[in-house]
Amino acid sequence: MAIEKNYYTIDPQGKLSCYKCGVPLVKGKAKFMYLDNGFPVELPVCPVCGFVYVPEELALGKVASVERALEDK
Amino acid sequence: MSQIQERGSTHVYKVNKISKEEMDSMVARCVHEDPPFCSAACPLKLDARAFLEAAAAGNFKKALLLYEKIAPFPLILSAGCEAPCEKKCRLSEIGDGLAIREVERAVARFGEQSRLGMVFRSKKRKSTAVLGSGLFALLLAGELEKKAYPVRVLCEEADEEAYLRAAAPFLDGEAFRLELKRLRGKDIQFEFGCALTPELLEETRGSADVLCASWELTQQLFPGAQSVPELVYCEAERLVSGPSEGVMGAAFAVKKAALTVDRLAQNLDPRNTRGQEGAVDSKLYTDLAEAKELRRVPVGESGYSREEAIREAGRCIRCHCEECLKSCAYLKHYKKHPGLLAKEIYNNTQIIMGDHQLNKPMNACSLCGQCTVVCPNGFDMARVCHLARQNMVSTDKMPLAPHEFALLDMLFSNGEAFLCRPQPGYETCRYVFFPGCQAAAIAPATVKAAYLDLCARFEGGVALMLGCCGAICDWAGRYEMEAQTRDFLDRELAKLGDPTVIAGCPTCLKELSGHEGLKLRGIWDVLLEIGLPAGGHGLDRPAAMHDACGARGDAKTQEAVRELARRLGCELSETPYEGDRAPCCGYGGLTAYANREVAAEMTDKCLERSDAPYISYCMACRDRFARQGRESRHILELVYGTDAGAPPDISEKRRNRLTLKNEVLQEIWLEEAMEKKLDYPLRWTDEARRMMDDRMILVEDVIAVLEDFRESGEAIRDEDGLLVARRRVGNATFWVKFSPEDDGGFLVRRAWSHRMRVEKREG
Ligand code: SF4
Ligand code: SF4
Ligand code: SF4
Ligand SMILES: [Zn+2]
Repeated sequence: MAIEKNYYTIDPQGKLSCYKCGVPLVKGKAKFMYLDNGFPVELPVCPVCGFVYVPEELALGKVASVERALEDK
Repeated sequence: MSQIQERGSTHVYKVNKISKEEMDSMVARCVHEDPPFCSAACPLKLDARAFLEAAAAGNFKKALLLYEKIAPFPLILSAGCEAPCEKKCRLSEIGDGLAIREVERAVARFGEQSRLGMVFRSKKRKSTAVLGSGLFALLLAGELEKKAYPVRVLCEEADEEAYLRAAAPFLDGEAFRLELKRLRGKDIQFEFGCALTPELLEETRGSADVLCASWELTQQLFPGAQSVPELVYCEAERLVSGPSEGVMGAAFAVKKAALTVDRLAQNLDPRNTRGQEGAVDSKLYTDLAEAKELRRVPVGESGYSREEAIREAGRCIRCHCEECLKSCAYLKHYKKHPGLLAKEIYNNTQIIMGDHQLNKPMNACSLCGQCTVVCPNGFDMARVCHLARQNMVSTDKMPLAPHEFALLDMLFSNGEAFLCRPQPGYETCRYVFFPGCQAAAIAPATVKAAYLDLCARFEGGVALMLGCCGAICDWAGRYEMEAQTRDFLDRELAKLGDPTVIAGCPTCLKELSGHEGLKLRGIWDVLLEIGLPAGGHGLDRPAAMHDACGARGDAKTQEAVRELARRLGCELSETPYEGDRAPCCGYGGLTAYANREVAAEMTDKCLERSDAPYISYCMACRDRFARQGRESRHILELVYGTDAGAPPDISEKRRNRLTLKNEVLQEIWLEEAMEKKLDYPLRWTDEARRMMDDRMILVEDVIAVLEDFRESGEAIRDEDGLLVARRRVGNATFWVKFSPEDDGGFLVRRAWSHRMRVEKREG
């Protein structure tokens, strides 16, 4: 089995739910893309509709710093 | 909403626009790296500034180390040097030049010799020999020893004492003893009592790689020998030797001879790669106001005591140019001289693959032009950074993120909030009032009052144009957008019958002056001519005038605004850095968007000039000073007796522009305004509004997210029961945390955004 690298993992631990589908979010596979670079991550995802959640701390922390780094490429 | 295309990739490799020659000639203007005047005058290139600094600090050991770099026998040089440095010392222009030689003597006498590096120094492989005696021979032997050559000295004298006496008969007892000790300490292999015959010379040539001789001996052995002066080398005789006069003459000849030895030891042509030798001219600039002590510490019979030397060295002002760093918060922030910074920024534009680490400084300069005025050589950092930005745009390497908010704001000004109308009753007009985007955003009531006043007092019709002059995209280096904006404005002006533009902002005036054939005036100019309207009044306490960087080099505007202020009854206090020397408030060049930290330092720099309230004639300055808590008024607020009040946040700035447009449309042109009204109540926590302003998230962005939620019902419910919805708007995804309210409305609690796209991944 190939080991896949994830740049970031968040497990919702049953604390979040999808408002539309009424089901708890699960840890799911997602991808960040910017300026034609992609990063696989694991984020809270709705198992029904596929809504991917990016929490505030992640957006302002890791995501922002990766954005800055890519912008200066 | 208007959008700007994000660059598709970081993998774009294109050619660029600035030539290296142009950049080099710009970089060369900074004289910071030029030597101080004393060092420039010294043929031996003593780092006198560092030497005096060490001496002034009482660190004679370090001072001596620096002096020994040019003088293997410091007491000999300091006894006989003619001190050309003292004549060139900047202090001599306003008082006594520094007594550098006397300080050198004291350092040579009292300085403790550092043994460091002497002990374990490995020798060079090529060996040298010096034949004969005298000053040149002694100094050369010392210099070669310093350079770590194995040195043999062959002389007639019987011992070191006689050898030193022959070279420096002028040394007094104490100095002689010290130099003799120094000579004995050197790693020189002496052969005393030699008969200096041609045979000995040839024999030595066989065992030494490079042969040197005193000039007397050369002439004696080779009558008519010719020495090349700049090499101190007799080519035919293959002998490093040449005439010299006096102590300084001998020392300089030795410096050249030692370089020749280096070349010969490497089997190179002694003429090549010698660099610049001897005294040079320096273009260094120094602010003489830093000089405190103008008179020399008097020199006694036996020279300076240690303390006297320290005091005299302390008079040195360490000539250096810092004019721009003293006045510009940006340069101070990066702690770099423009010559160096410009070079690095240029190199940054040349990077095809990898990190552009200088993007931040390149985008942090406010392009204000202050440095060009304060720099004695007119260094133009604004041009460097502006060209660099254009260059990055041309190669598609310019990140959009630092400037996107400002660029979208400009598109908003020239889109949704744009207005261009002839005065009612006219098809074309003689004038058009162009207040500028920031005036409409920050002081809409003032703009309206000014327009009504101009309409009432001018014949021939005054049109109104609400929009952005294009400075925003110009500053961002987006030259294609700038050209489009210029065309757009030109077309609108043509519809009005190409009226004379009355600009309300000095930056607009400057930006619009780039339009061919456009007639332009500043409103301050117009008001001086037609007189002040009723209802205006000045401030009741003395105020400081802040000159806008848009008006740099425009004495007429600077004076007109002052005259208006005086007529309004303002008392203006004098402040440093006025007129052309004024610093930028931090808005210019989009610094406020690209680098808020530097922008804040720029604002502070402006405000530290005075405690008084500030009067300005650029709305951006007015806004930034008010945000910093200073009482701040735009001259037009005083003229029209309006008060724009507390500074608006980013969403209010947009709303102000729209409201102004709708108001004038309804009141002046009697047109129905098309105002969008929400059909549900929207409320905010204070925290949410602060957060949005800080994170550059507009009310419109939040509404876009909520509209989307109302339609799709897509959201997350978090552990506190709050909902979080999101929407991609342009190049960013906006997230809003909110709670639905019983009346069908929403209470917005938090908002954040990111630029990366996020997507579910299969597998
Ligand atoms: S003012 Fe600044 S840019 Fe001009 S020479 Fe001095 S250090 Fe260089
Ligand atoms: S003031 Fe100091 S640094 Fe300047 S020229 Fe004189 S000795 Fe040299
Ligand atoms: S901010 Fe102004 S003064 Fe400072 S380097 Fe840039 S153009 Fe020159
Ligand atoms: Zn769902």
